[in-house]
Amino acid sequence: MTVAARLTPIPDERSAPYWNAASEHILTVAQCSVCSALTHPPGTVCPHCGSTDPGFTFVPVSGRGVVKSWTLVRQSFLPGFEVPFLLVDVEIVEQSDLRLIGRLLYAAEETLHIGRAVRVVFEDIAPGFAVPAFALEDES
Amino acid sequence: MSASFSAKNQVAIVGYAQSPIVKHDTRSLGVVTLETARSAIHDAGLEVDMVDGFVTGSLFPSAGSHSAEDGVSLVSANWLAQGLGINPRYAAGFQGFGQIPGAVALAVNAIASGAANYVVMHRALHNPKGSYHGNVMREAGGGQQWTAPQGYFGPISMIALPYNEYLQRYGASREAMATVLVEARKNGARIPWSYWHDQPLTREEYLSAPMISDPICRYDCDIPVDGAAVFLFTSADRARDLPHPPVYVSGYATGSPTTHRLPLHWPLDDIMGVGAETARRLWSSSGIGPNDIDLPQLYDGFSPFVYFWLEALGLCPVGEAHRFVEGGGIDSDRPDGLPVLSGGGALGNGRMHGIPQMLECYLQLSRRAGDRQREQASIGLACHSSPHFGGAVIYSADR
Repeated sequence: MTVAARLTPIPDERSAPYWNAASEHILTVAQCSVCSALTHPPGTVCPHCGSTDPGFTFVPVSGRGVVKSWTLVRQSFLPGFEVPFLLVDVEIVEQSDLRLIGRLLYAAEETLHIGRAVRVVFEDIAPGFAVPAFALEDES
Repeated sequence: MSASFSAKNQVAIVGYAQSPIVKHDTRSLGVVTLETARSAIHDAGLEVDMVDGFVTGSLFPSAGSHSAEDGVSLVSANWLAQGLGINPRYAAGFQGFGQIPGAVALAVNAIASGAANYVVMHRALHNPKGSYHGNVMREAGGGQQWTAPQGYFGPISMIALPYNEYLQRYGASREAMATVLVEARKNGARIPWSYWHDQPLTREEYLSAPMISDPICRYDCDIPVDGAAVFLFTSADRARDLPHPPVYVSGYATGSPTTHRLPLHWPLDDIMGVGAETARRLWSSSGIGPNDIDLPQLYDGFSPFVYFWLEALGLCPVGEAHRFVEGGGIDSDRPDGLPVLSGGGALGNGRMHGIPQMLECYLQLSRRAGDRQREQASIGLACHSSPHFGGAVIYSADR
């Protein structure tokens, strides 16, 4: 049985720069022009300084982070995902509590523990679309 | 310090009715709810035209490809009022999570303020045909563009992340959770209206069930059902003239985290941090503490919520709920056990969203629990949803 195509994001006025950067395999995060704090995902108000005119710009981040939790998904409720796959809840190093959730590629669950270092990688899911995922960092 | 609750024990539940809890009802959810409301009004010794208030939290909690239609997949307060032919003085819906404490609060506030004298509070839940949470979306916009393309979707992965965080942080095992499921289904099996009536679950069945999103297996999730429950509220003064012993609302609290998160991202620290504040509000507004509660009915729509509520309410130390449970701490048949799932909960009844907890408090405190009646049942507590997004209500048999 062939797996259906992966679902794609619908970029909007706010998110388009993020998805454009992702298509070039660059992870960006929204930065508030008032307080400089990073926010993911960006809404209409800066959750850090409360600015209603945050003028978010997407700035590149290292994509390095640590695992806060994970789950092995064995039943996907969306089309396009081969099961099982791992999802990791990652805190990005640039800012405390800056969290992304994505797939962990090329690794088994047994390799994970809370605090495990990971780095962003990208999955090219459709022409012009890449989504961030994670891979284990070498631990020395 | 929260201001004390000036409506403490001023408003009471005076009657109820519940529909059959079934996988798929042949009647529409609206019809089921309407008939249940008529039964509840009658049970309370009232006439339909005396009801002047309607409250609910009507959310249809499916992530799947289903439409949300009033009277079919959900039932709003206004739909029910219209169905009963009433133009109510007060009708309102609670829009957050924790629909049961949220809607009870609306009922209490309406009566205490004089906005209504007799309030129907209901919760109606629908199980659509087909996969409950399965979604055929090809594209994701809005908030879901940040999670769905990565495969993060729906409430089961949502709860799997903080549950795994709990297991890793405190060295808990899935074997401990088997005790929760066995307890919920033991009690549900004793309840004639339960979906799981006469169907207890063994540890072995729990531990061998298919996993959905590790560490969540099928039995960690309540089963979706069609069902409706209705409660009648009025003032303590009016309750004196009605047929059943009133059960008073002594306090309530709900929470709402301020931390900005991805959709459906519920880190354990959010749940427990905001949950501690929910509990603090509850105790401080009611003047009642965790040691005063005879019947702490904990929410269990996903099994890890039992741990989270045990700890958030201070019924056991943080990080210890799994040991507390394994040691028999929630065995409702033991004299020293906390009866946190004596009403079967959602795991033992079906997806009735906090209704089993509220109903158990009402039945036990009004001495209407029949052969399940517990001797020691003066103060009850009914939770719903997560400690950080939901809430709890304290009920008393005495004013």
